[in-house]
Amino acid sequence: MPKKIRRKLSDAVSGSKNFFLGIPRATRNLYKEIPHQVKSFKEWIFTFRGSLTILCIIGTILIPLITMDDYITTILISFLIFSIFAASWDLLAGFTGQTSFGHSVFFGVGAYVAAAFVKMAGLPWFFSMIIGAVVAVLVGLIVGIPCLRLKGPYLALGTMAFSLILFNLFMSGELKDILGSTEGISGLPAMSEDLIITFLYILIIMIISFVILIIIIKSNIGTIFKAIRDDESAADASGINTTKYKLIAFMISGFFAGIAGSLFSLNSRAVNPSVFLALYSFYAIVMVALGGLATISGSVLGAFVYWVILNELFKPLGMWGTVFLFFPTLISAIILVIMIRFAEQGILKPALEHLREFYDFLLGR
Amino acid sequence: MGVILEVKNLTKKFGGLTAVNDFSFEIQRGEFIGLIGPNGAGKTTVFNLISGFEKPNAGSIRFDGMDITGLKPFQIVNLGLVRTFQLVRSFHYMSVLDNVSVACLSPRGKKAAEKVGIDQYASRILSEVGLIDKARFPPVILPHGDLRRLEIGKAAGTNPQILLLDEPFSGLSYEEQEHIHALIRRLSNEGVTIFITGHVLRELMNLVPRVIAMHQGKVITDGPPQEVANHKLVLEAYLGRGGVFA
Repeated sequence: MPKKIRRKLSDAVSGSKNFFLGIPRATRNLYKEIPHQVKSFKEWIFTFRGSLTILCIIGTILIPLITMDDYITTILISFLIFSIFAASWDLLAGFTGQTSFGHSVFFGVGAYVAAAFVKMAGLPWFFSMIIGAVVAVLVGLIVGIPCLRLKGPYLALGTMAFSLILFNLFMSGELKDILGSTEGISGLPAMSEDLIITFLYILIIMIISFVILIIIIKSNIGTIFKAIRDDESAADASGINTTKYKLIAFMISGFFAGIAGSLFSLNSRAVNPSVFLALYSFYAIVMVALGGLATISGSVLGAFVYWVILNELFKPLGMWGTVFLFFPTLISAIILVIMIRFAEQGILKPALEHLREFYDFLLGR
Repeated sequence: MGVILEVKNLTKKFGGLTAVNDFSFEIQRGEFIGLIGPNGAGKTTVFNLISGFEKPNAGSIRFDGMDITGLKPFQIVNLGLVRTFQLVRSFHYMSVLDNVSVACLSPRGKKAAEKVGIDQYASRILSEVGLIDKARFPPVILPHGDLRRLEIGKAAGTNPQILLLDEPFSGLSYEEQEHIHALIRRLSNEGVTIFITGHVLRELMNLVPRVIAMHQGKVITDGPPQEVANHKLVLEAYLGRGGVFA
């Protein structure tokens, strides 16, 4: 054994003052400096991310106020709703590793329940929304319990089966009196007289949802979720009840997907079985993949790029004539493929990095 | 003192292969004990059975006077019986600190970390295993030796009474092995019962006062390392029956 190592070792065993297990003792105090968090809201606003977030929110509020265009406001409203939906999927798939392809189940249940409570019971929209979300949580439990035994692609297929079951159930003619069949529920009262007010309500709900989601993923529960995603048996070997936490993830995710679904039906003032289509699950997946998996805030960017830019920007092309009807979809699909090819991690992180350089440049750093 | 782990007539079959066959032993509280055997002897299966990752076909496991046969792995961990893996299993995309924090977030770990807080407690463990200066790195970029230390740190985070270390020395350089040696000795001195496997005798010889040797799922012999190393059946298990080398 080399002399140096032997000395270090003897230090380690005897507990010398300068070395501990061969590591200079001074570094042991490093742990005191590790937890560094922004302490208050005031402090957060002046950080790079904080100021960017505030700017984005102000921008989103200003667009409908300046243009006063109902069409643009409607698009922005659906963008906000889908960003909540995508973020809820991100919590389940990106953070907990439970890739669900049947997220439209929660969305659809929330949509139907909220619509039913507004129409039949005449409840105000806010309470119906909460009830819709709570019922979606219960559905999350019902879907979650059998699906917990499944992993990877099997889980994806299992959850997708649930969305197909519900779609066919709500479509069936035999249950028309109860579930409304293809017509669904229509003729709901508007959330508010003015579209801008509706927009602001939804914006506030979206911001609150995101704050809650981000608090959850930064908390201890978030750490456990990530551990389950990275290695489930290792989490088990660390004494974590993985079944319980996976169910919690299903429930939290179901709650926010339910809120998104409720808002969707309340805003469009009607709901039909198409909300259970796998299409809606794929909206969430595409948006999260675009923004960046396991980022939460990436789903806002993903929803914006997919819903506002890709879907709406090329729409005028389709109006050139019937031959060009497929053009918008084609172009947005091509752009989507290119984006996913060149930004596997999503576009949020590279975008933030470039913005950060610009920000530092502006501040003269 | 007293018996902390008591394994009786443990049997595990994989199809036609009996990996563990009527395996019985006892471990005293605070003991430092090794389990040796050639490749494929069933050491890891014994660990999997004790820690609840696999269900035995027959036999019972009593830990601290309680029957833990058939309990789920996390329940066993929360009683204080913790194992590490032969192939290191870390949470790849979380920081090293969070890797240990997860263990501290288990019900048992939480109780231990209550006084100082999870982050402080996890950092303290990291500084003890010597990874504090890498606390913010993800484990994917760490060398193998550091991952082994992290594995022990993760196990220590749950405040174990008995620690099952599955081949903690495999694939390590001499210097790294010495680090792990010192670490395990320190844990043992703190009163943690340690049960350690290895297929190379030399590594364990200097470390443990008592060794169980197993071959083809059965206990061959049980005793001090020198005695075990010279045991006829152990030599046969390692070197074959021909007696060319022995």
